[in-house]
Amino acid sequence: MQAWIEKVSKMFEMAFITEDRWKLYLSGLGVTLKVALLAAVLGLAIGTIVALMKLSTNKQGKRTIWSYIANAYIDIIRGTPSVLQLLIMWFIIMKSCKNGVLVAVLSFGINSGAYVAEIVRAGILAVDKGQTEAGRSLGLSKSQTMLYIVIPQAIKNVLPPIGNEFIVLLKETAIVGYVSLSDLTRVANQVSSRTYEAFMPLIGAAVIYFVIIKILTILLNKLERRLRKSDNR
Amino acid sequence: MIIVKDLHKTFENNHVLRGVDYHVHQGEKIVVVGPSGSGKSTFLRCLNLLETPTSGEIWFDGQKITDSKVDIDKIRQHMGMVFQNFNLFNNLSIMDNITLAPVKLKLMNKEEACENALSLLTRVGLKEKADAYPSQLSGGQKQRIAIVRSLAMNPKVMLFDEPTSALDPEMVGEVLDVMKELAKSGMTMVVVTHEMGFAREVGTKVLFMDEGIIMEENTPAEFFNNPQCQRLQDFLSKVL
Repeated sequence: MQAWIEKVSKMFEMAFITEDRWKLYLSGLGVTLKVALLAAVLGLAIGTIVALMKLSTNKQGKRTIWSYIANAYIDIIRGTPSVLQLLIMWFIIMKSCKNGVLVAVLSFGINSGAYVAEIVRAGILAVDKGQTEAGRSLGLSKSQTMLYIVIPQAIKNVLPPIGNEFIVLLKETAIVGYVSLSDLTRVANQVSSRTYEAFMPLIGAAVIYFVIIKILTILLNKLERRLRKSDNR
Repeated sequence: MIIVKDLHKTFENNHVLRGVDYHVHQGEKIVVVGPSGSGKSTFLRCLNLLETPTSGEIWFDGQKITDSKVDIDKIRQHMGMVFQNFNLFNNLSIMDNITLAPVKLKLMNKEEACENALSLLTRVGLKEKADAYPSQLSGGQKQRIAIVRSLAMNPKVMLFDEPTSALDPEMVGEVLDVMKELAKSGMTMVVVTHEMGFAREVGTKVLFMDEGIIMEENTPAEFFNNPQCQRLQDFLSKVL
């Protein structure tokens, strides 16, 4: 027992204490959070715009050219692996850009946008058609009806799946090592190859991801409950 | 005020309206009755282009609104509409439900709109509900608010699409009372309903629609006491 405890604490020391390695994890986590957060904001913006594009119709109620463009974007993004998208962004589209964070944020933001677009579209469609008809019958334009009546109600619908999307996004950033960013996963991997001891760094990184996402989940639940409360005033 | 010429509407393969012609004059209260599926709701929804007619013309106040160049949002400001399912805006308080359109369309400033809303709410006896939300109201209250919301735009005509069909029987009366009062004030109204008593009492003309056309049109007295076509006689014998 004594020997086992000694062994584990030695492993722990090697993984986190020696050469101040805990600082590496911390900066790795910083990179992970920075990329995930900025990409989430970008994804939300892209997703909302694309959802509105996809839903757009002309006066005859037919789909517009924007709708087809939005559809093509969603198809392409969902039809290819995000690792490949990241590599294509890094090695082809933004070849001359040496800012890995920027490339990663763009790549993940564009990727997430496709999924968010479908979530937002579903949220808008879930709002009763009568709400739109009532708005339009009062003389409000399509966009006014959308802005003042439909979207505020859609936000409540989309919050749970959007939270889910953020969580997926946060974990998906574990592949940014491909564009030589030192995020949490890559740092853990580096430490383990330095110490020839994989257990502590990898489990440690996993625990950090878990805690961050747990906190995020709690915050999202709080927000959702607050919005629901305004439902049954 | 509203002229309808040879109106047709087709959904997929379903020919719902098969040539409707009608002329609604200022101040008239037109009540439209008929079996379900007869096209009466579709007819009403075509009047403010919530449904786009497949062919035919609709004129409102001397303007051909089926013309694609017409700004339909402008036209709709003058045509109130009340729905079967109320369709109050769930995310807004009653006051905001009523003032949203007049304020956002810059017809009134916020204070004027609120004042106007309060006096309208008083008229239907719901002044104390101004700060409530739609989910807190009964069906009858919701429908009265929905009528107020349309009236807040000072419309020239009011369209009612089965306004009492989704209500509990005991709430039908309070909504009909508001509509009767509105009729007395001289509002031009087109009402699709199953309330034969209302048709008889308030209507200046009653229309019977079936199979996508207006089969019979008459004054309420003649319509109910002396129906001409067989189809209407059958219908009345079932509903009266």
